[in-house]
Amino acid sequence: MLTPVTMTWTPVISPDYRGRWLGLCSCTLLLLLGGCITTATQQLATNVSAALANQNDPALVRDGAPAHLLLLEGLLEGDPENEELLLAAARMYGAYATLFVEDKERARSMAEKAHGYASRALCGRRPDTCAADKLPFDEFTALVDTMDQQDLSALYVYAVTWISRVQTSGPGDYNALANLPRIATMMERVVVLDEGYDFGQAHVYLGAMDCLLSANLGGRPEQGRLHFERAIALSNGRNLRAQVELARRCARLTFDRELHDRLLNEVLAADPDEPGLTLSNVLAQREARILLDTSTDYFE
Amino acid sequence: MCLRCLVVLAWMLAVPVSASHTTTFKIATVAPDGTGWMLEMREGAETIARRTDGRVKFRFYPGGVMGNDKSVLRKLRIGQLHGGAITGGGLALIDPNTLVYSLPFTFRSWGEVDYARARMDPLLIESIEDAGFVTLGFVEGGFAYLMSGSPLHGMEDLRGKKVWIPEGDRISRSVFEDMNVSPIPLPLPDVLTGLQTGLIDTVGASAIGAIALQWHTRIKYVTDTPLMYLHGALLIDRRAFSKLDAKDQLLVREVMSEIAARLKLNTREDDKKARQALQDQGITFVTPSPEAVMKLRRSVAGTADRLAEEGVVPSQLLEKLRAHLKDYRRIAGAAP
Repeated sequence: MLTPVTMTWTPVISPDYRGRWLGLCSCTLLLLLGGCITTATQQLATNVSAALANQNDPALVRDGAPAHLLLLEGLLEGDPENEELLLAAARMYGAYATLFVEDKERARSMAEKAHGYASRALCGRRPDTCAADKLPFDEFTALVDTMDQQDLSALYVYAVTWISRVQTSGPGDYNALANLPRIATMMERVVVLDEGYDFGQAHVYLGAMDCLLSANLGGRPEQGRLHFERAIALSNGRNLRAQVELARRCARLTFDRELHDRLLNEVLAADPDEPGLTLSNVLAQREARILLDTSTDYFE
Repeated sequence: MCLRCLVVLAWMLAVPVSASHTTTFKIATVAPDGTGWMLEMREGAETIARRTDGRVKFRFYPGGVMGNDKSVLRKLRIGQLHGGAITGGGLALIDPNTLVYSLPFTFRSWGEVDYARARMDPLLIESIEDAGFVTLGFVEGGFAYLMSGSPLHGMEDLRGKKVWIPEGDRISRSVFEDMNVSPIPLPLPDVLTGLQTGLIDTVGASAIGAIALQWHTRIKYVTDTPLMYLHGALLIDRRAFSKLDAKDQLLVREVMSEIAARLKLNTREDDKKARQALQDQGITFVTPSPEAVMKLRRSVAGTADRLAEEGVVPSQLLEKLRAHLKDYRRIAGAAP
């Protein structure tokens, strides 16, 4: 029988992928922990970041984070090329934009700012990456493969804030979508350098990307599941976000209700308190509740 | 068990779709949940549920969870599904007459598509209905273009290329073989790997599709003349649909055809943006000379004639389509 026009007939794929990414970037808050800023004020900034990540009250963080963002901006005024500060500001802006800002235009602008800071940090460390996003894909991949352990933090924040940009991109932003393979390349490099970095979060991002499309469209849900399971193992099951995203992205895509409901029930039964993960876990539990409540509607 | 219980049970078994005057249509689509497509479809479903006081509902199976076209069609036949957003390949399985839109180098612009389809679609709606499906609306996937690792200016450049065609696609196979090109059939999920490993180096794809499927990371050139028009339809099983009363049928048709029209417009806008994104990603668009395009068209027209004679494509409809396109080009002052 004839099947002549199946090739790439994918009218359904729109840059509204940010819907698919909703919630994922809440894990960028985990990044709040990072950094070792040297001066006393910078130490304060780091401490505040860590305190925010350990909060179990998202509303408090939503209300308090802007003051911290302004503090970071102020510190950057005095030391504009300080890598630690640039990465801290990138983390905070990216996380705040995707988690708490409802105004789409404002969120997009903040995510761009976050990526700009990360870009400055990476470019300062590795001048050969300054225009990396304009390189052809194969050259970009070759460049990423040259990054080493010392570049890890900047590389990771650059990739995470790029995801924030994809999440907050406007309708019709196919460039944002077209950059996903580049982000995946960077996350794969993070896994090679240190897969346990940031509670194995790079595996969560890779899993989400593998589960964007079903297998019959070239997606890799089985591979995606392995990534999520690795992230769960690397955090000793304490990164509840990894379980929620496995349920939301892969279990729903493969129509595996048993897996979906089991993971979410486990998340709801877990204690969210975990140094560096508490806020992320509290938010993950909220999302788990919503996903479970819509489970019947989705699967039946 | 009491007689009444048996009757109720029998009724429930016989009419699995309905309960308490509520009909729920199970609809498959490859659109991932959360995309613009699904948001539009869900909005249409909500409107219908509201305006029918909950008598007509839709349950969607997004992201291709119900499998590929063949698998969806099988589920439609056994009543596990009642409809779907069916791509051109699936449509051809339901009604081979729809292949008339699937010949390469047939349409040159959206103007041609709109002119011809306004005159041809009623025939196809009837034909699809005869095949057991109600057409709620036609949708599009943009134009496919030849994309490759090296610039393709014409037929000569294609020779020696490792050109992908969808598995079982007899039209594409004949078209390329008549150009002395040996195409390589692969299932869709294997195309990216094929490009990565060098098994293939040339694909036909829409700009939207190339980005969504990440093929854009493996190509460097786009030949900027429409290769093929990608189309599909929102279909619903005729038997399931006929269970609605006439008023509700009309409403579902009205709302869903509006959604389909909107999806079509959105896709055309997206197509433009995706083309721009490909250029922003460093991919070069090459424009073949008019003579080279003419040569390609002549070759494909010859293949189409042969396939029509063999009964692979519907000859009468092809003749009608060609006449409409000729009229349009005459009115528009374009080359015949």
